[in-house]
Amino acid sequence: MSMFGFGKPQPSSAEKIAAAEQEMDLFTDMFNKLQQACMKKCVPKEYREGELNKGEGVCIDRCSSKFFDVQLKISELLQAEAAAKGATGGGFGIGGM
Amino acid sequence: MDGLTPTEQREFQSRMERKQMKEFMGMFSNLVGHCFDSCIDDFTTKSLVQRETGCVTRCVKKFMAGSERIGQRFQEQQAQMMNQPPPGQ
Repeated sequence: MSMFGFGKPQPSSAEKIAAAEQEMDLFTDMFNKLQQACMKKCVPKEYREGELNKGEGVCIDRCSSKFFDVQLKISELLQAEAAAKGATGGGFGIGGM
Repeated sequence: MDGLTPTEQREFQSRMERKQMKEFMGMFSNLVGHCFDSCIDDFTTKSLVQRETGCVTRCVKKFMAGSERIGQRFQEQQAQMMNQPPPGQ
């Protein structure tokens, strides 16, 4: 945050909204991927009953947890790659969550 | 999402509403495909047999239950991330 008028110019309205929208897209995407992955891995296709049984529930919890861990891990790896290649900022911005 | 003026927030809100609608339609489409795939395999008749109807009902219910649970885990994780400092700091 600049107090003296130096630094980056203020983003325009459109830019701010686009950035917020992009963030939202990221979350939505992430949720959808998570849902697809864990439903596929944890809920077999027989549909004998209309509720999750205990095993499926626990599987979903663990699957979600691992999914987030994988995401974090990949984020770190990509950042390390970028740093190693000497790339300056403005590459991915993933760590900003 | 901070630093938006009220006008910008309204614009953002209306975009989010459109997006939600789109998401819902996507989910619906996905669900139809998925449950049809899982449940429908008897083409000796033109209309659904009872077994198939039951399967589809259970499929949808189970999907919604699973979705809800995943949503809860997702929210918990988001809350946790907000409270933690970003990695590497």
